[in-house]
Amino acid sequence: MAPIIVSLFILPVVVSLLLLFLPKAAAKVLTILATLTLSGISLYLYYSRGDQPIQFAVPAIVDKIVLIADFALLAYVIAQGFLQRNILVWGLAALQAGILAYLAMNMPHGEYMQFYVDNLSLFMFILINVVSGVIAIYSLKYIDEEQCSPFRKKYFLSTIFWFIAAMNLLSAADNLEYFYLFFELTTIASYLFIRFRLDKESKQNALTALWMNQIGGLAILGAIAYTIFTPGYGVPTFSHLLTQAPTVGVILPFAFLAIAGLVKGAQYPFSKWLIGAMVAPTPVSALLHSSTMVKIAPFIILKISPAIQGTPVATVIICLTAFVFIAAAIGALAQDTFKKILAHSTIALLALMILMSAVGTPVAVTAALMLIFFHGVSKCMLFLNAGIMEHVFHMKQTSSMTKLAEVGPYTSLIVAVGFMSLLLPPFGAFIGKWFSIETLGTIGGAVITPGYKLISALILVMIVCGGAVLSLLYFKVLGSMISRTGERDKVKFEKLHPIYRGTMNFLLVTVLLCTIALPWLIPGYFAPVAATIIKSGVPVAFEGFALTIDNVKLPLIPMIAAFVLLPLGIIAAMFVRFKNVDRAKEYACGEKVEYNFASFYFTTEKATPYFVYAGILFFVGILLVGYLM
Amino acid sequence: MNNIVVQILLIALAPILGGLIYGLERKVKARMQRRIGPPLLQPFYDFLKFADKRKMIVHSTHAFLGLLHFVSLWFAVAVLIMGGDFILIIFLHLLSTAVIILAGFSTRSIFSHLGANRSAISVLAYEPVLIIIAISAYMLTGSFDVSALYASEIPVLFKMPLAFIALLLILPVKLKKSPFDVSEAHQEVVGGVELEYSGIFYEAVYTAKWLDYIFVYLLVFMFGGANIWLGLVLVALTFIYINALDNSTARVNYKQMLRFCLWVALPIAFVNLLLTMFGVL
Amino acid sequence: MKLNKYRKKSPWILHYNAGGCNGCDIEILACLGPKYDIERFGMINSGNPKQADVMLITGPVTKRSRERLVDIYSQMPEPKVVVACGSCTCTGGVFRGMYNCEGGVDQYIPVDVYVPGCGCRPEQIIAGVVEALKKLENKTKEIEKSVRLEVAPVESDNQINRREIAAPINNGGKPSVFG
Ligand code: SF4
Repeated sequence: MAPIIVSLFILPVVVSLLLLFLPKAAAKVLTILATLTLSGISLYLYYSRGDQPIQFAVPAIVDKIVLIADFALLAYVIAQGFLQRNILVWGLAALQAGILAYLAMNMPHGEYMQFYVDNLSLFMFILINVVSGVIAIYSLKYIDEEQCSPFRKKYFLSTIFWFIAAMNLLSAADNLEYFYLFFELTTIASYLFIRFRLDKESKQNALTALWMNQIGGLAILGAIAYTIFTPGYGVPTFSHLLTQAPTVGVILPFAFLAIAGLVKGAQYPFSKWLIGAMVAPTPVSALLHSSTMVKIAPFIILKISPAIQGTPVATVIICLTAFVFIAAAIGALAQDTFKKILAHSTIALLALMILMSAVGTPVAVTAALMLIFFHGVSKCMLFLNAGIMEHVFHMKQTSSMTKLAEVGPYTSLIVAVGFMSLLLPPFGAFIGKWFSIETLGTIGGAVITPGYKLISALILVMIVCGGAVLSLLYFKVLGSMISRTGERDKVKFEKLHPIYRGTMNFLLVTVLLCTIALPWLIPGYFAPVAATIIKSGVPVAFEGFALTIDNVKLPLIPMIAAFVLLPLGIIAAMFVRFKNVDRAKEYACGEKVEYNFASFYFTTEKATPYFVYAGILFFVGILLVGYLM
Repeated sequence: MNNIVVQILLIALAPILGGLIYGLERKVKARMQRRIGPPLLQPFYDFLKFADKRKMIVHSTHAFLGLLHFVSLWFAVAVLIMGGDFILIIFLHLLSTAVIILAGFSTRSIFSHLGANRSAISVLAYEPVLIIIAISAYMLTGSFDVSALYASEIPVLFKMPLAFIALLLILPVKLKKSPFDVSEAHQEVVGGVELEYSGIFYEAVYTAKWLDYIFVYLLVFMFGGANIWLGLVLVALTFIYINALDNSTARVNYKQMLRFCLWVALPIAFVNLLLTMFGVL
Repeated sequence: MKLNKYRKKSPWILHYNAGGCNGCDIEILACLGPKYDIERFGMINSGNPKQADVMLITGPVTKRSRERLVDIYSQMPEPKVVVACGSCTCTGGVFRGMYNCEGGVDQYIPVDVYVPGCGCRPEQIIAGVVEALKKLENKTKEIEKSVRLEVAPVESDNQINRREIAAPINNGGKPSVFG
């Protein structure tokens, strides 16, 4: 098994190097081939998974390479910070370099495996390789339309592939030192991606992303330091930490790791970097948002959830994310740019995923996994579609999308499906949300302390209100898109470039199929992964057309009926045509004015600083609670 | 509510029952204003008349969404009658509202748009309260199924009185009754989302309003638990309350409505949730 | 199934003021109030042409309101009836001969019932609408054929009974009054 897994690390790096030198046509073929291979490998790995996690060590020389690479990266960051006169960037990087040097001297050298691949890693492999692969193929065409030198185009594609490699490594790493390197690698990748267009705004936002993510790196170093110097832990690996945690009883390292995750997941107050990342080319936003980078956040929390479950640290994380869920949803209402709306709703949904992961009950973990998966696919679809809208139809704002249903029925179909898959009952994300409501209800009943009950009830209210706000948001966007003056003659799908069409078709079919196959996907795909996380089986049962997971029942018949009825109905509405019916003008009191229609906007500028302050408070709270425990 | 035949009959007859309620409501409202009022079967006369009008639509998407609204609302009502999952019911209802909101947005009509915007805001106003009531019910019975509430021996009303009050506060929003009828507001937005419908397509939207009555009064009925008579009394009282309120109040604007729902009704529901959680009642 | 008989059981009203003095409008609203209560006939003031059956027009149709009147009229689905309420709507009334209006509404859209009076009384309006409902029952769903109406010369204003003049004459397929 191990060699196949290693091929997931090596192959993208090789492809990435090759892409820098190959001519355009060859690069195309190579990208498609590489994507197919990588997806194939990741799917195969999941299929042929054993009961035991796969662990393997690497030669000792790699340890040294990793250390050197760490310093090289930090040197690069410091250089960038100096060049662009950003004290935060180089200051944080220098601080990390110092800590790292000190740690490297004190690092214990026991016998341990550097890589640990369990079902969760395999799950992440599938998401990373398939979705990022689709994005790579998409960007073949997209980057072609970008105005930059041919070399920079190649460089962009190449960066995507080494980013994939870094992500694969990250989800397999067990050693925290390695984990730190890969974490930093993804940070650098996002920095390079965001400043790709090289204008002033891009550079500024890239620097913001850089310094914010440095804090995540710092937190990981903090975790390593505490691991080394806490008697009982000693060896800084995830698996060791998790097995030792109950006996040692110190959870500060986990608090640090959680902070690293939360920063990567752009939770308040660190949400700014993700919003700023919207200036980058679209495939980048898709990469950063949907499939991979931000998914590090729930990934880390899922990994450490057995250790923090039920502790005050988990409680603070839950409070933070519940707060971020509603705050980001409210923030999204004020936006008009399509990509920014997507970014805010990503932050909100990420918060929900992290919340579920921190709750850590079997059902919650399953729900978190489902959210990760469905959000990955459908957000990717929406982002790529935003790119098409920008390049083909020149629409960036939702208020200018009013003619989309007329000029681009296919594109608007994608937007409709994407939004509905994030919101409506039969689709995945909804079920995740539903589970969260159900499990939180259970927690309140299970824990006896009144204070905890109160918190749990408050969180419920936040989730409920946030959900309502999000649905309001989605209606707003869908509504501005569906608007049309008169009857259309006949629906004719617009002509798109085969690459655009192919990737969108693939994602569309994936979303729809996975939704229909949900009753089989839950026991076959999500439950085994959840079982490895919580270290016990997840009871899943079919009973009278209802799927029961642990103690939560899912009535399938009404849900499938709802699936046929509503989303398909709404999509059908875009294409039906009534015969033998007269058409009339809209009623406007008999006036013949052209009506420029508007939508409600909600100003949230006043509230935003408070969101940030609250976020900072919560972050301090996590550390404090972790320390006091 | 446990007999399958009764359930199916109820589902099939839901629109007709709703029409009767609507007819009664018009009658009662007229009597409150010292008028004679239309005959009880007036809604059905309207229905039959609309079937006989020339078919006129703005465009097919809009007309189809109207039909879909009716069908999906009926589906939500059916799940509610069958005693299905509470959260699912609320979301199905939300969806049917979503469909009509989308329909409102789909035409380039000023009033339709304003109405759709206001409907979306009123969803924001009542949705959280409903879900919190659902969660309280879950705390009470240990199951999200509504049938557990129908079968509850001690009436739900005595267990969650505050939830009932919260429900009463949001009902005018849901039924588009004064003082919270901003989304329909005939004098301002000429009926809002339903403005552009005519003929048989308007029928779908018109009947969907009747179904909304059934939906709402079933929610009220639920508070009676296994005691059918208590449930019916509650429904009757709610009916009188809604009409009296509708007749005696003036419309507030949408901001005031939202503020009221989120700062008054929601906390009441929340307190109820806490009470149920701690098992006080 | 014959649904014609339900038409008169639920006539929904659209009320349009084509430049009148508001006297008749007040009377129309009085009809809706508790005293006259036309809702007992199933009437609702819908304010929306797309769902209305009876159009109540007041006012002499000024130049500005003319286009809107025709626009709204054309948005009402057939079958529909038009009731002209008030003298100025029927003939021009006190506004007759003014620079901004011509004599009455029937020059622009077909009128079914004329209700006289300056302002017409609520009883008269109710009687007029009931009269219109009889006509409504016999209408078809076809779009009403436009007819050319002979216009009485406004200069010689000598108490003409407009209903006699307003008989249709065969115009041999010429464009309608709308054109
Ligand atoms: S008929 Fe007389 S009262 Fe009525 S609108 Fe005309 S002028 Fe006014």
